[in-house]
Amino acid sequence: MNGMPACVSIIDDDGLVLRSLDRLLRSLGFAVDTFATPRDFLDQPASDAPGCIIMDLSMPGLSGLELQQALSRTGDPRPVVFISGAASVPASVAAMKAGAVDFLTKPLDHDRLLGAVRSAIEQDRASRDRRVNSAALAERLTSLTPREREVLERVVAGRLNKQIASELGTAEKTIKVHRARMMQKMQVDSVAELVRLWTAFRQPGTGTPS
Amino acid sequence: MDSVSSARDGNPVLSRQWWRPGLDASSVRWVLFVAVGYYLAARLGFAFTLRPSPLSTLWPPNALLLAALLLTPSRLWAWLLLAALPAHLLAELQSGVPVAMVLGWYASNCSEALIGAALVRAFVPGPLRLDTLASTATFLLCGVLAAPLLSSFLDAALVSLVGWGDAGYWELLRTRVLSNALAEIIVAPLVLTWGSFHFARLRAAPPARHAEAAALFAGLLAASLVLDLPQIGLHATPALFYAPLPFLLWAAVRFGPTGTATAIAVMALATIWGAVSGLGPFTGHAPAQMARDMQLFLIAVAAPLLLLAAALEERKRVARDAREQRLQLTHLSRVAMLGELSGGIVHELNQPLTAILSNAQAARHFIANNSADPQLLGEILQDIILADQRAGDVIRRLRTLFKRGETNFETLDANTLVRDVLRIVNGDLVLRAIHAEIDLDEPLPPLEGDRVELQQLMLNLVVNACEAMGGVEERLRRLAIRTRAGTDGGVVISVTDNGAGFAPEQYERLFEPFYTTKRQGLGLGLSICRTIVRAHRGRLWGTAAPGKGAAFHVHLPAMRPGRRP
Repeated sequence: MNGMPACVSIIDDDGLVLRSLDRLLRSLGFAVDTFATPRDFLDQPASDAPGCIIMDLSMPGLSGLELQQALSRTGDPRPVVFISGAASVPASVAAMKAGAVDFLTKPLDHDRLLGAVRSAIEQDRASRDRRVNSAALAERLTSLTPREREVLERVVAGRLNKQIASELGTAEKTIKVHRARMMQKMQVDSVAELVRLWTAFRQPGTGTPS
Repeated sequence: MDSVSSARDGNPVLSRQWWRPGLDASSVRWVLFVAVGYYLAARLGFAFTLRPSPLSTLWPPNALLLAALLLTPSRLWAWLLLAALPAHLLAELQSGVPVAMVLGWYASNCSEALIGAALVRAFVPGPLRLDTLASTATFLLCGVLAAPLLSSFLDAALVSLVGWGDAGYWELLRTRVLSNALAEIIVAPLVLTWGSFHFARLRAAPPARHAEAAALFAGLLAASLVLDLPQIGLHATPALFYAPLPFLLWAAVRFGPTGTATAIAVMALATIWGAVSGLGPFTGHAPAQMARDMQLFLIAVAAPLLLLAAALEERKRVARDAREQRLQLTHLSRVAMLGELSGGIVHELNQPLTAILSNAQAARHFIANNSADPQLLGEILQDIILADQRAGDVIRRLRTLFKRGETNFETLDANTLVRDVLRIVNGDLVLRAIHAEIDLDEPLPPLEGDRVELQQLMLNLVVNACEAMGGVEERLRRLAIRTRAGTDGGVVISVTDNGAGFAPEQYERLFEPFYTTKRQGLGLGLSICRTIVRAHRGRLWGTAAPGKGAAFHVHLPAMRPGRRP
């Protein structure tokens, strides 16, 4: 485990089950938050720590699937592991389609639970890392002047300095200065590296540069 | 086959070896019974002789032999007749009768039993029980009328042939027919009914029943003996002739063929004892006429009573069979419904099982990490106990519903009933994402009913309501259960859903057997529900719910006055 300690949020309306899962995950070394209802969970501000959510599929008030949809609307990126007392095939298919990491049936198999929680947390860490990187990149991008930004887009598109200069209606020498400053602000040494950063940034789900 | 048939017939002695060849333990028992019984019966017959005349008013050995034949397979008959021979010789030779006459009587006695048994067996196969009108009538015609009559022609002829005594042929015939017919109607039913009696039932009977039997026989004995008292007896009040009748009817109505046969025997013995002792209503005439009057009187009383007891027993059995069938059907439909609930039941059991497993695994990890403090372990164990108790409750509730039992009326609270049913369907409600709105009127007047059947009724209505909401969007599914005290002191329970509902003309058809609107299902649920409600003197009907959906209402009346709440 690297960085911040992982935190598992458990949502189950059955107090006995909730307490037992709380103890089990604590005994395995996880930090745990428990919630008796989906409402309680939604009222809690989203945590910065990496982690995952374990929740019962069928709960009164708001079903597990509905909660999952609510979470993706609020932009909470934490992966969800569903547990169910009597899994129906349609419900598990719907859960997996909606992006659940795993779907476990009660009584829970210890190894499967541990595996599901670990891989969910790994997934969350990876996506958090990606988000941190793209945030840093966005910051570098915003530090560019409009002219440097124009130069960047053309360099990435594979234009030569001479072509860029003629497109922007300025001297090749000026372009070289803009380009050097842009490369410095973007903290890259080669065009290849710049292209890699740019494509990573433009990946779906992480937003497009304005 | 053995255990099944003996369990059904309840009489291991008779049914176990009914069709087996050879002389087994039960056959030997019958042979011994006849050998000893015949001798004692003959001694009894001598005791009932009206002195100074040699006439016996009641000659029981033949009846005992006939009854034994009627209760055994025909391959045993030769053995039984043979067993009677030494008893016959022993009893008769003591009385100084010529050997030829003794043997002649043995032949006529055997012929009587054989004629009766063969005739009865021809119409009623298997061991004879006097528990149907047909078998009792057959016994009266063949065993009481035909057998003594036909065998007496032989008997009287033999007596005339040997030249014993000085009575004429027709007089001999008439005397023997009457004394043997009386014996058949008094003694044979005693053996027939007690021979197939369930003695376990006697032990299981409540003390009140024993007290009732004691009162009946004390009264009967008193009423029979009062006739023998010269001062206040029949000579003073002829209506006293009917004094034993209420007690005999009491026996027929309340104690079945066995009680009736016993009561008739008690009355007959008391009457004959009076006559033999020179007391009672039949004294004061010549012995022959006195014996004839008494015999005719007793036969005339016994025959209709045996028929009455058999008819009542038959009717009781028909009612019992109908009730048994209703119980069976109710139970089957209950089990089928629990099958439909299995998903929810699995959920209800999986919750505590999950808690137990996860708690135990957590404790193991804590102990392995040396991070287990006693307080935490105590909490874990406490939760394991709670979870186990919860699973146990689920199973207990199911077990009572799965069990097939007799209807057992007790005092119930409708709200408790609703809460119990909700616990059973809780898993189903959770899985179907149905929100239950419970509106209970407290306190409700107590009800009187069978807990399991009323639970079944409520479960059926709730499961129907849940299934009706299958097409409704999950967050809109609403099940409403309401209890209200009725204006008549009863209770109304309503189960409402917001499913598709029914067309107005469907609401009455829903209660017809085999009418169903479900894709799967026999269409028996609501019809059985209505049967259950009727057995509780209540009403069950359906209406359209306000808005959309259907509502089903059960009205259960107040407890009958006089019952303890």
